[in-house]
Parts: sequence; structure tokens; C-alpha cells
Amino acid sequence: MGTINYLESIKLQKKLVSDRKTNKISDTLLSLQHPLTYTLGKRRTDHNMLIPMSQLKKIGAELHYTQRGGDITFHGPHQAILYPIISLREIGLGARNYVEKLELTMIELASLYGVKACAGQKGETGVWVGERKIGAIGVQISNGITSHGLAFNIDPDLNYFKHIVPCGIADKGVTSLRKETVTGNSKQGQLNKILDGRNEREGGILGTRWVIHSQKVRLRS
Amino acid sequence: MASRALWASRAASYLRISVFHRGFSTVLKDLKYSDSHEWVKVDGNSATIGITDHAQDHLGDVVYVELPEVGASVTQGDSFGAVESVKATSDVNSPVSGKVVEVNEELNNSPILVNSSPYEKGWIIKVEVKDTEELNNLMDPEGYTKFCDKEDGNH
Repeated sequence: MGTINYLESIKLQKKLVSDRKTNKISDTLLSLQHPLTYTLGKRRTDHNMLIPMSQLKKIGAELHYTQRGGDITFHGPHQAILYPIISLREIGLGARNYVEKLELTMIELASLYGVKACAGQKGETGVWVGERKIGAIGVQISNGITSHGLAFNIDPDLNYFKHIVPCGIADKGVTSLRKETVTGNSKQGQLNKILDGRNEREGGILGTRWVIHSQKVRLRS
Repeated sequence: MASRALWASRAASYLRISVFHRGFSTVLKDLKYSDSHEWVKVDGNSATIGITDHAQDHLGDVVYVELPEVGASVTQGDSFGAVESVKATSDVNSPVSGKVVEVNEELNNSPILVNSSPYEKGWIIKVEVKDTEELNNLMDPEGYTKFCDKEDGNH
């Protein structure tokens, strides 16, 4: 879908959730990026935002409060976002199993590029490479229909994470696929191929086939 | 899981409540159930509401419960609050319509009670029921058990 303003994506998801609830549409997946955006979850943990609104404005970032689970996070260019709008009831999945599958999706994606990622320990939902978080999850489930979803760091500017306590976890870092791939010509070349130009990856999630489109992004040197 | 079921049986026999065991999730007699996995215990026109053992098991550890204000209206089938677990917020719907007369403040300190004691200490709200006829729209324990089996068998 390209780069979508955060509030626009919320409006779209609300409509899709409503349509999914009445079966106007079937399970749907949104694949997109956001411009510089910080978001908070239902618990409104604003103490994890470390800079004032005035500075946010200066750097050109937006801050939004949402109804999703999870703590504070950052979204920006070169971060792959997926918002599945699915009926969990129809496939008999609970929140825990659904989130596990979102984690597995990111772990699988990382492994396709030679990065060994794993799910977090209890209470640290998300996808990690060692002590560094590469993928975050924040979901809302309403009448069994999901919205929001996952954010996977392909190559965002990780400096933006310094303005927050990411996901409320103070003693661990963040990372990206770019940072974790071994710098060697062959691997770098592989990563270039993925990030430059349109790329399609097929994955299985919840038994439904879907396609990730990496948007055309310029690999920063 | 097995020890929890054993504890539930012991608690149930102490309280003289019959317990259906469906797999590892407990369904209590004398309660009514909604298709979004909430239970309601009615005494006259006073109702106590929570989420079922099946629901808490599928959610994972609850870290936060969003409670309504006392005095708020609730409508059968509509959301009155939410729980958060594994970075997912899930709506909780009311099985009956009426007015909230009490909320379980203990959940602000110990949201995990929803997991450890879904039918007792983990109760969420108490409601003054408008129309007890509405209870006919809910499932009895056997119906709920069958409903859960069907839903879990769907994948």
C-alpha cells in the first residue's frame, strides 16, 4: 500500500473490521509503511516517551494513542508493517495463538535472510535477535476480529528508537534486518535485491496464503 | 493445567457446585454463558460477570483490565471493557443489559486473577439487571461446552 499516514490507516482498519464483522469482506491483510510515527497502546504508558511534544514536532514525527495492546513503539520508513484483519472465531484461534503465529511469521522472514530470530520470553512478546528486538506486536481484538498487528524492522533509522523506552523495556536494544545481516558482498547484495525494487514473498499465516510486498526502498549506505 | 483442574474440582465440591470438565477448561454449572466466552451468575436481579476458563486460557496471562465506571450502562452483547494479554487487547462483552453497580478494583493490582480464578476472584463487574428474560439468549453449561468444542475444532 505504500506509506500511509497513521490516522488514515486507523480509519481504514475501523471500516475493514466493521465489514469483516458483517461478512461483507473476507480475511484481509494490509501491508504498508508509516511516516515517522510514535504510538502508545491502551494502557497509555506515556512515561516511556522521553522527549517533549515540541521536540517531536521539530523532528517531524507524530504521536498517536491507540486501543491496541502493547507499549510505546516507533514506526517509520523501511519498517514493514502488517495489519491482518481476520476473524479469529472462524478459525478457532485465541489471542495467545494468534500472536504466536505473528511472531513465527517474523521469525520465518528473518531466517529467509539468514538471521536467527526467536520469540520473546514470557512477558516480552515480539521477535528478538539475542537481546535486540527486531519485530514488535500490538493487536486489538474486537468481537473476535483483529486489527493492528506487527512491525518488522527491515532498515528503519534506529536512532528514532532513542526517543522512547521501546515497548517499555529499558535494558534491551532494537535492531533491524539490515543491521543483523552479515556484511559481506554476497549477503549485502542479497539484501539490496530485497530492499530495492518490488519483491514478493509468500508466507503462510494461519493457513491463509498471503503475499508480502516490500516497497521500493533505497538502501542507505 | 491438571493441578488447576484438581483445585477447581476441590473448590467446586466445597462450594457444592457441579463441574463439567471439557478437556482442560472448566465450565461451571449454575452459570450462563455468552458466545463471546463471558459467564454470568444471576441472583434475583443482581448479576456477576467474568470471562470463562476457556477464554482466559486462550488469552494468555492478563496484564491489564480496563474496567467501566460504576453507574455505566451495559447492553447484552456489547463491549463494556477490555483485557490485555500478550500485547493484544480483547473486548469483553456483557451477557446482560443493565447498570454497573460494582467493579472488581482488585484487578487493577492483580489482573492475573482473571487467569488464576476466572469464576471467583477474577470476576469483573456486577450489574443490576434490567430484564431477566434476556438470560434466555444465553447458553447453559452443556450448550457452552458443545460451543467451545465446535469452535476449537474449527482449525
